Amino acid sequence: MKLILSNVSGIPIYEQIKRQVKAAILSGELKEEEALPSLRTLAKDLKISVLTVTRAYTELEQEGFVRNVQGRGCFVLGSSSELMREQLIRKVEASLAEAIKAARIANLSREELQQLFDLLLEVNTDD
Amino acid sequence: MRNIWKAAKLDGSLVKPYARVICFTMLLPIAFAAINRSLPTGVSFAMCFIAMTTGYPFSVTEKNGMERLYGILPVRKWELVTGRYLFVLALGALALTVSLIAQPLVLRAMGETVTAADLGGAAVGGLFLFALYTVFQIPGYYKYGSIKGRVFLYIPVAGFLATLLLLPKMPAGNPLVAAIAGSPVLLVALVTALVVGMYAVSICCSIRIMQSKEL
Amino acid sequence: MTDYLEVKNLSKSFGRFRLCDISFTLPKGYIMGLIGPNGSGKTTTIKLILNMLARDSGEIRILGLDNIADEQKAKAALGVVFDTNYFSEDWQVAQVEQAISVFYPGWDSKRFAGLLQTFQIAPARKVKELSKGMQMKLMLACAFSYDAKLLILDEPTSGLDPVSRDELLQILSEYIEDGEHSVLFSTHITADLERAADYITYLSYGELFFSGSKDEFVDLFRIVKGGTEELSADLRAKAVRVRTFPTGFEALVKTEDTGAFSALSIEPATIDEILVFTSRKGEDYA
Repeated sequence: MKLILSNVSGIPIYEQIKRQVKAAILSGELKEEEALPSLRTLAKDLKISVLTVTRAYTELEQEGFVRNVQGRGCFVLGSSSELMREQLIRKVEASLAEAIKAARIANLSREELQQLFDLLLEVNTDD
Repeated sequence: MRNIWKAAKLDGSLVKPYARVICFTMLLPIAFAAINRSLPTGVSFAMCFIAMTTGYPFSVTEKNGMERLYGILPVRKWELVTGRYLFVLALGALALTVSLIAQPLVLRAMGETVTAADLGGAAVGGLFLFALYTVFQIPGYYKYGSIKGRVFLYIPVAGFLATLLLLPKMPAGNPLVAAIAGSPVLLVALVTALVVGMYAVSICCSIRIMQSKEL
Repeated sequence: MTDYLEVKNLSKSFGRFRLCDISFTLPKGYIMGLIGPNGSGKTTTIKLILNMLARDSGEIRILGLDNIADEQKAKAALGVVFDTNYFSEDWQVAQVEQAISVFYPGWDSKRFAGLLQTFQIAPARKVKELSKGMQMKLMLACAFSYDAKLLILDEPTSGLDPVSRDELLQILSEYIEDGEHSVLFSTHITADLERAADYITYLSYGELFFSGSKDEFVDLFRIVKGGTEELSADLRAKAVRVRTFPTGFEALVKTEDTGAFSALSIEPATIDEILVFTSRKGEDYA
């Protein structure tokens, strides 16, 4: 997993870490039960505060993405977890909304859009 | 006790760069003894000279801002102070030993006779003079530092001149003085008691100065 | 014991300076930045911790030990780096080890040799021949060689080039990585702390302005910017301080007060900005 922090984005560092870890989990790059980098090692490597990483990890746990095991580290929860599923559904909704917006601009009819959707579903089950 | 020893050792490493000057300081009085053909003169010179180097650990400390190192070392202030006295005394003892070995050899080679009594007298006198100089110097350096307190460098010189002037005026007829001079045991006991007493007072003063000092 | 440094109601006055009722706590495993304008009492606080100055009142505990009653024990676990070197300039690096290792029962010569190698300091070099950055690393190497649990640094980065400053931060974050070591770091170069510090203690002219997590500190305030005509009386009243200039203004506002000004540009504040806007001496800055 890669983590790239920006000092000029105006987004707090812990938030940047959270977003990137979430993205990695949602994209499947980080698998269920996989360990996140050790809190202190990550802080050292990124030259940031231990507390900043702690905050990111704690919030990830509260949001149901990971599980902190005292003394052992932080592990990714499976995408089967309820919260994770919710996040994923929200992501699907957002992407679909985006697609619908584009379809309106392109003047696609409801049927055409549905056809396209079914086609894509088939193509994707192939791989 | 171990910390005092460590502190004294630390002072040793402070003045290490001045080892040559100190060696020279110890050997030079041999020439004075030879010129004057007198052991007491040579030893007096030796103790005066070596006492002039008392300021070295203070000046190295001050030059390098090492009071900060003293501030962080895991030793107490009184141990540091006592360690410095120990170091100064050790240097004095070394100078005295060198003088008492080298000077009689030179004097004998020149045809002078040096008796055991002469040696004993010079040893007691030398110790006393050295103590007399350093008990004032060290608290002075602690109080004023080696730069503002450089006047303390000359205490031995002043003391040396004073002894030169005062010695002939000693009331030899005084029964007390005669009694002390006549009995080596009494003399040694008296000098030892005096030296111990002076150092005790001096160390207490230095510790008090050091403890009230804000580094 | 989880707190490596506890300072409680610490006060000290001398001359015209007064350090007033300072309290803060540094837990084990973290870096704390001690910040404030020059003359705020950073060095005084550090000297009081080291018992190099006598406190008027208050309490200081180093690894749970009273800094005066258990001074020796506490100092054996304490490493200190000052802005300038405190060894004799004429010592060779190897002599530094000889001179001070005897004072620390836990001194590890192998570790010292290893650190010298890592820091590229030749043992035969004289202290005065080392650059400022090297001298700092030598002080660090000593502290690490007796495994000091708490490291106190007083303005270590003043006069250091950016490369050495970065190296120092790297060394410090490695030092606390195992969670068993803590660092108290006084500086007025707040860029050093912007990322690496976990906690901030901010002294302002002898008084404690803030002590807590850095993220919390930075989150306390926002910078609100706008054109001159957008500077309302309400904003003036709520701002900690406003700086005006011909084309507009900049104001430091408490984060909870920014709601009313959402139409204006609101940015996170840096530690430096908070310092500049909150320091009393900045009065004539507006």
